[in-house]
Amino acid sequence: MTEKLAGLVEELQSADRQERIELLIDLARSLPKLPDHLEAHKDATHRVEECQSPVYLFIDVQNGRVVFHADAPVEAPTVRGFVALLVEGLEGANAADVAALPDDLVRRAGLLEILGMQRIAGLDAVVRRLKRTTALLTSAPGNTQSLTS
Amino acid sequence: MSNSHAHADVLVTPEWVERHLDDPNVRLIETDEDPALYFQGHIPGAVEIGWHNQLQDPVTRDYLPVPQFEDLCARSGISPETTCVFYGDKSNWWACYAFWVFKLYGHRDCRVLDGGYKFWRESGRPLTTGPSKHPRAEYKAAPIDQALIRAFRDDVFAQIDAGKPLVDVRSPREYTGELLHMEEYPQEGTLRGGHVPGARNVPWGRTVRDDGRFKSVDELKAIFEEEIGLNAGQEIIAYCRIGERSSLVWFVLTYLLGYPHVQNYDGSWLEWGNLVRAPIAKGPSPGAIV
Repeated sequence: MTEKLAGLVEELQSADRQERIELLIDLARSLPKLPDHLEAHKDATHRVEECQSPVYLFIDVQNGRVVFHADAPVEAPTVRGFVALLVEGLEGANAADVAALPDDLVRRAGLLEILGMQRIAGLDAVVRRLKRTTALLTSAPGNTQSLTS
Repeated sequence: MSNSHAHADVLVTPEWVERHLDDPNVRLIETDEDPALYFQGHIPGAVEIGWHNQLQDPVTRDYLPVPQFEDLCARSGISPETTCVFYGDKSNWWACYAFWVFKLYGHRDCRVLDGGYKFWRESGRPLTTGPSKHPRAEYKAAPIDQALIRAFRDDVFAQIDAGKPLVDVRSPREYTGELLHMEEYPQEGTLRGGHVPGARNVPWGRTVRDDGRFKSVDELKAIFEEEIGLNAGQEIIAYCRIGERSSLVWFVLTYLLGYPHVQNYDGSWLEWGNLVRAPIAKGPSPGAIV
């Protein structure tokens, strides 16, 4: 994981529930709008099926750097905030940074207490999808999920 | 539209809520899937009640002990006489769940804001991030006989044996059993996919319009009466995966269609799918016991 991401996760972890919710709302607000050419590709291929809320990930690896865009509904601030955390925290990351993401990142960020056991699995799936796709693109560039797919 | 629903007063409009924003006898309660939504902007004066962290007892796998529920209400400025108006995200799934839980404790005057959070916001009505402070109230619960509105697994066995109706309100792929045996779904999964034998599938989303408001009584009758043959004289059990989507359908059947004998099986598929020797059916038809 990048230092930036580790710092953001640490900040969430050490916050109390109320502060954590506010941090997530701020993160959610800061999520950059999808570029127009990706907006048109918000389809089943790019949707994280396990998430109750529609979350779309667009992952590419260019010159060893992971290029990552995402979208999630404004009405689901925790989900959107978590996705924004990944986008912001992984800016300029390389494939090894992504591969090193802990599988329990969602819990480390303290989201279990906010969303509850029943709703947290969908976010775990976001992390898995990010890691799996990055690994796939690194081993076979242009394979799937690229920005133009 | 809503005035033709059986208990029309239980479903209130945004206009009704606007007229009662400063009414001390009315308490708005927001319950969302994503609790951060309340803090991003809620109806002025609304209090947040979290479905998993404030209504459920994490140890007993049940709802709160009565004194804790009483304290929750008291802290939220709710007395037994308060009109509680529930609303939230996801077309009021969680609001109906909280409504149903409040009914278990015997709260008399519970209502649902038609269209929930989405319709309120999209019709340009005010949301605030300001705190909602209400003076502490006195609350003494008068819990009902839970069997009136809540089914346990033994009730489901009896329902199957008696050939009485069950409504499965999950998505079609959960009903057939195609979903849920999903790898990498450790917390959400059950050991088996499928449905309770004999259950008919009516995905909950069919009861609401795109704008989040409930469908008219005629549209609802077309689904529940013409399509799957329910009627007001039957004893009906609704279930989903954890009992929240089925709370919404329980609300629809009980208050919008006026059926007097509807129970919500909150153990739902998460319990039934894992229950040793519990019969299930797979595939698109209601099916027999396998």
